[in-house]
Amino acid sequence: MAKRQRTAVTPESQLPLAPATFEILLALVDSERHGYAIMKEVSTRTDGAVQLGPGTLYGALKRLLESGLVEKGSERADPELGDDRRRYYKLTKLGLRVARLEARRLDAMVRAARQKKLIGMEPA
Amino acid sequence: MSAERVYRLLLRAYPRSFRSEYGSEMMLLFRDEYRSRNAAALRFWTTMVCDVARSATSMWLDVLSARVKDYTRLVEVIMKLAGILAVLLGVFGVVSALAEAVAGMRARPSGAYVLAVSLGVIAAALLLTAGAALLRSPVSGRHTATITLLASLVIVLIARLLHPWMGMLALIVGIGSPIALLAALYWPNRRSPSTSQQTGAY
Repeated sequence: MAKRQRTAVTPESQLPLAPATFEILLALVDSERHGYAIMKEVSTRTDGAVQLGPGTLYGALKRLLESGLVEKGSERADPELGDDRRRYYKLTKLGLRVARLEARRLDAMVRAARQKKLIGMEPA
Repeated sequence: MSAERVYRLLLRAYPRSFRSEYGSEMMLLFRDEYRSRNAAALRFWTTMVCDVARSATSMWLDVLSARVKDYTRLVEVIMKLAGILAVLLGVFGVVSALAEAVAGMRARPSGAYVLAVSLGVIAAALLLTAGAALLRSPVSGRHTATITLLASLVIVLIARLLHPWMGMLALIVGIGSPIALLAALYWPNRRSPSTSQQTGAY
């Protein structure tokens, strides 16, 4: 019987990531988090420059879940936020590889910008 | 009206499937955000409304895109089935026309008879061509299939005029099958007015 070939999702095929998507993956690199914790982590890390609204956050999470970069964790209460049970999200192995590749891609771009003296110099 | 009720109303902008999956989590997140907000009420609500407008549009586009994909898959399946049917009927037509020719050759056949049988073979070959075109490419093959099916139909009608005692089965296959296949090819167009946009997805 012929084997059906499945289209493999390669990490490279996921690149480049939308800025909000990369921010979410970065927020999940350390530990699993619920929606509000992701939102706060992104806002704190970027000094408020990136503010993810609920729609943007869950829209991106939905796509990340569908592409297998993120998976659902347990549902439990966050002691800091009260008794409401919250869904936690965590990075998959594929998600981690994609985040690494995207970071390298961005790093290469920054290095190129530095070589061209776009950054790293005092403004004239 | 409380802030949560307003946000619950805003959530109706999202597709139902998205709402049922993430609506309660979004409500919870909104509640947390509303409690800890630093910005003035107007700025907070402007941000929320813009977020809903942007992300709901994006979600609806995803839903529409998924529907288009489902539809194009359906069209493709119909075309493939029509193609297989046309090939089978074409083979059957060629074989039965040749059998008719062999049987007719025993007696002294008239010129009209020979022409009718030849036309029968050509019509069946055209049916076969239509099927092959559909199997090769369900969308671009549709135009080739339409032309060959119409040609096949016309040729069978001419053969019928030349050879009025054509069998019932030959009539059904020769006239009925091109009509049925043409109906199958153009059935999806009647189902949706947006086929022209969808064909680009192949």
